[in-house]
Amino acid sequence: MLAISGLRAGYGRIEVLRGIDLAVADREIVTIIGANGAGKSTLLRAISGTVGNRSGAMDFAGNDLLRMSVEAIASAGVVQVPEGRQLFGPLSVEENLQLGSYTRRGRRGRPAGEKMKEVFALFPLLEERRAQQAGTLSGGEQQMLAIGRALMAEPRLLLLDEPSMGLAPLIVREIFRTLRRLNEAGLAMLLVEQDARIALSLAHRGLVMVRGQVMLEDSAEGLLGNPEVQAIYFGRHAGRGVSGTEGG
Amino acid sequence: MSFDQFLQYISSGITSGSIYALTALGFTLIYNSTDIINFAQGEFVMLGGLVAISMHEWGAPLPLAFLVAVALVGIVGVIFEQLAIRPLLSAGVLAQIIVTIGASLAIRTVAMLIWGRESLPLPPFSGDSPIVILGASILPQTLWVLGLTLVIVVALQLFYRRTLTGKAVRACSVNPTAARLMGISYSRVVLLSFGLSAAISAAGGVMITPVSFMSYSAGALIGLKGFAACILGGLGNPVGAVAGGLILGILEALTVGFLPFSGSSGYKDGVAFLILLVILFARPQGLFGRRTVEKV
Repeated sequence: MLAISGLRAGYGRIEVLRGIDLAVADREIVTIIGANGAGKSTLLRAISGTVGNRSGAMDFAGNDLLRMSVEAIASAGVVQVPEGRQLFGPLSVEENLQLGSYTRRGRRGRPAGEKMKEVFALFPLLEERRAQQAGTLSGGEQQMLAIGRALMAEPRLLLLDEPSMGLAPLIVREIFRTLRRLNEAGLAMLLVEQDARIALSLAHRGLVMVRGQVMLEDSAEGLLGNPEVQAIYFGRHAGRGVSGTEGG
Repeated sequence: MSFDQFLQYISSGITSGSIYALTALGFTLIYNSTDIINFAQGEFVMLGGLVAISMHEWGAPLPLAFLVAVALVGIVGVIFEQLAIRPLLSAGVLAQIIVTIGASLAIRTVAMLIWGRESLPLPPFSGDSPIVILGASILPQTLWVLGLTLVIVVALQLFYRRTLTGKAVRACSVNPTAARLMGISYSRVVLLSFGLSAAISAAGGVMITPVSFMSYSAGALIGLKGFAACILGGLGNPVGAVAGGLILGILEALTVGFLPFSGSSGYKDGVAFLILLVILFARPQGLFGRRTVEKV
């Protein structure tokens, strides 16, 4: 569905992505793990078009994403849940969700109200808070709203940038359970995550990025069992729940 | 000063205050979507008045002249954005603010070539026999100004609160990047803001012309007072802009009334700038604004 080859991108003269090859198939979750500054977020921004200077090739279901504006990419069904949620803080929860369906306005298909009911079914807390200002929600609720807002656009590929950031482990697990359910219903995802363990537990495949390049690509199980990955990216949590890695 | 005199001053203050309010609202719309202070805002007010005058001279009834003036100046706002603002998108907000000053001079010059240097009149919307309320005689135009201003402010609020497009405009002013990720075209929102802003200020221009005439050079002072009203109410806050405009208009009128010497109306214009300075020193976030810290 998404096919990227030789993607280079950066800010001004600074090149962050130095030739990335990446594919996401239908119904697949691919995760990108790597240290801070490896270029993970830049990769998602390059796909959604919010980074200028892009070159290479990037195709999404027949659309040449390199030639499309940010708005057009979103309309084509590639929808980003940005780092740090980026909600419309002074607007209500409901308004945030309505704006999520902005690309669907005037189009055939299910009305936004029905879609909103689905989002409320996934995140019942949001329904309780629908009239509240988005900026007053807790961190977990904000992340749920950010995901819900993206779902309102009826994405075909969801780009998730650090959905676990700053959240309590319990809430992270709840959000990841919801993501799994969405994937089981057919939604493809590209997930960027600091928390490599939880990302790989959700994803089918994973890529390890180092300084703007893909160093390693494998199935999620493969990466979870890879001693090098464990040593570098699981940090002090190494060994927890994975046999044979104690003392690594 | 007697009570009916006081009411008289208040009513004339509300009239000019409404115009400052609409001008301030124009500033706010553009500022919220682009961070630009549009120093050509007053020219939209002036153009509104002069276009209505010409329409009326050509035989158009006043309501039609009003609507044509508002629509035409709205289009001028859109063209202004395309010609002057859009090309400087990458040059940054400061360059864009400076170009509005240049555009203001250009618009004024063109207006002078078309309409000349004279102050031109427009008849009041519904006659000029005063209505006596509580001993004060109030011109019907005052009620028109107040009523239409109210309609515009309420309509604008409904647009922002109830329509998806209005919500998209608010979303863009909060977080343009996130709005674009939702498929909202930021450049179209900016275009819409310029069009709406120009149209609203033009409406103010048409309404005030029967009271105080209009000339090619009248926009500069109205623009500066609208800006002072914005600062008074808190830059970026539409409610503050309207309140700031009304407060400024009333203070001006009362200055004329209370200063004991003749010719005190000459000091009227100073009030706006005195307020501007005091607010900037004492409460830069305005009466209704929240203190914000800009990260550099």
